Amino acid sequence: MARATGPAPGRSSIIRAAVIVIGVLLAIFALPPLMNGYYTDTMTQVAIYSIVTLGLGLLVGRVGLYSLGQVAVLTIGAWAGARLLFATSQPYLLVLLEAGLATMVIGTLITLPALRLRGLYLALITLMLAGAVTVVLATINFPNGGGGFSGYNGSFLHIPQIRRPSLAGTDPAYYRYCVIIAIVMFLVVFAHLRSRPGRAWAAIRQSEPAALAAGINTTFYKLWALALASFVTGVAGALLAGADRELFSIDFPIQNSIELLAVVLMGGVFSLWGAVVAAFLLEFLPALLQDWGVPNDWLIIIFGVGVLQVLVTAPRGLADQFPKDMRRLGRLIWRLGHRPAATPAVAGASGEPGNPAGPAPSTTEAARRD
Amino acid sequence: MPSWSDFQPFIVSGLALGGVYALSGVGLVVLYRATGVLYLAFGAVGAMGAYIAWQVQQQPGGWPGWLSWIICIAFGGLVALGYGVIFGPALAGRGPLIQAVATLGLTLVLFGAIDLLWPTSAGQSRSLTFPTDGSGFTVGQVQVNWTQVIALGLGVVITIGTGAFLRFSKLGTAMRAMANDREITGTLGVPVRRVEAAAWFGCGILSGLAGLILADLSALDDTTLVFTVVISSLAAALIGRLRSIAVTFVAALVIGLVHDLITPITQIVNYQDMTPFVLAAIALLVVSRGQVTSRSREEG
Repeated sequence: MARATGPAPGRSSIIRAAVIVIGVLLAIFALPPLMNGYYTDTMTQVAIYSIVTLGLGLLVGRVGLYSLGQVAVLTIGAWAGARLLFATSQPYLLVLLEAGLATMVIGTLITLPALRLRGLYLALITLMLAGAVTVVLATINFPNGGGGFSGYNGSFLHIPQIRRPSLAGTDPAYYRYCVIIAIVMFLVVFAHLRSRPGRAWAAIRQSEPAALAAGINTTFYKLWALALASFVTGVAGALLAGADRELFSIDFPIQNSIELLAVVLMGGVFSLWGAVVAAFLLEFLPALLQDWGVPNDWLIIIFGVGVLQVLVTAPRGLADQFPKDMRRLGRLIWRLGHRPAATPAVAGASGEPGNPAGPAPSTTEAARRD
Repeated sequence: MPSWSDFQPFIVSGLALGGVYALSGVGLVVLYRATGVLYLAFGAVGAMGAYIAWQVQQQPGGWPGWLSWIICIAFGGLVALGYGVIFGPALAGRGPLIQAVATLGLTLVLFGAIDLLWPTSAGQSRSLTFPTDGSGFTVGQVQVNWTQVIALGLGVVITIGTGAFLRFSKLGTAMRAMANDREITGTLGVPVRRVEAAAWFGCGILSGLAGLILADLSALDDTTLVFTVVISSLAAALIGRLRSIAVTFVAALVIGLVHDLITPITQIVNYQDMTPFVLAAIALLVVSRGQVTSRSREEG
């Protein structure tokens, strides 16, 4: 998307900004009263996971780092957040920041040695790390109000819930809180993409040797991307701790990382919209299917097919493909509707946005060009 | 610290597990060398094959065991062949990373299908057993059953057999040539697609075999079969740098052995499943030293 808006910052980008602002306002103010408890929870998860997909999309789309262990990073954030929330009475925002920073440090440290690896090997080592984190987590468990470093209380009675911010105790309020934090994270990443690191990442993605030759410190900027992705994912983890209020290691099996990569690829990694689409695929769709009584397994199958479809035919993902398909469909309908009366003069004068070039014959040309 | 006698049984079970990882790892390496695809769906296909074998054995007619085993192995071969024929050409030239990620799509499809067809919530526990489980012999004080012998034996036989196949047969030579340079191999008149299909089918057969044996040795459980197998054998293949089947074989045995030998050590037994990750991570970081920006051919 950054590429699309780059050359022509004019009316279209203003319209786009307006659409985003309206969408955000609707999400924060209009949506909560309309949703029951089930969908409030679901949309909270969507908001939280949009941060996770944002981080993974950043790694995949901007730097070309296919991480198969992003859910493991999320659990590190959730663990750190839960531990801090139990151990301290700090303000929630501070805990979010600390959990993000802790995850950033740990996530960067464990992938630091992997940075000398590239491509396939890096992806595989993240899969290994994800497995390792899953094993560790299954052993030390999530904090649930106990003492010691792990904060795990072996008894299953009287498990205190993870606290929420004082001004967002109820579910709708916490939903709004998550949406706002998610927006902040998107803005942080957006600011990165529009400045020096964003350009460096784009260069690395195109060709690492070329970026190196152009004087870009590739290791530094890759590390930066990893740190940023780990940070936002850690913040999402801490938000998740407050949303779920009780965390269990079995809720984060290793296949979640693979599903996460699947939806991120389906959503599209070259646009920030892709992260939102991916979060809806990952969290909203299962809730909807459950509401309709359809087994969740169908969704896993669809995600699998979706990954294959995206990789084979639409490498830019749904966020890019869907509007294009819609535009094509619209053009088709427009053409069908106008066929009987179509004369070159009428078609040219109508000023159809899909037909900027003028006379009717170019309509088919424009369609073909896409 | 446990005594030596506590460890002895786990040497046997570890070697058996290592044998399965070895034949899986060898399958992964050969397919990767021949087609450039790292087949991450290896475990999922084997798992589904094992579930199908279990289903066949449950049929009221009393189907013979050997038929269910053949069905399982054939399923593995056919799925791999189908995937290779359909998606191999479509994704060729997109780089090994994309091709590996695409096989994760197949993994998800199979994983979802297994859970849909054989739900875990049904309360019943499924198991796949061989007639060789019950009989065996003793070495010292350690009981060894024939299934364990078969598992290790298959690992050895398949590693040696694959090595000989690649070295001496015409098809094997073609695969080695394709591993070196696909374009030139094609120009020299080798039917690239057909050789690739053969590699897919062979690897698929091995995935069915691995799923079948592991369902017996370990458990008929989808998460175990889908991820543990693929991660352990992948770790072995990575230690072999996705290149050497001999190193892969040794690494697989070591991974199986270390994993099982940890069992009696109560302090770290909870972490035994980390064995493949830890060994592969160490190996990857050691072998990758000094090639920060070099472009090796298989990564290009």
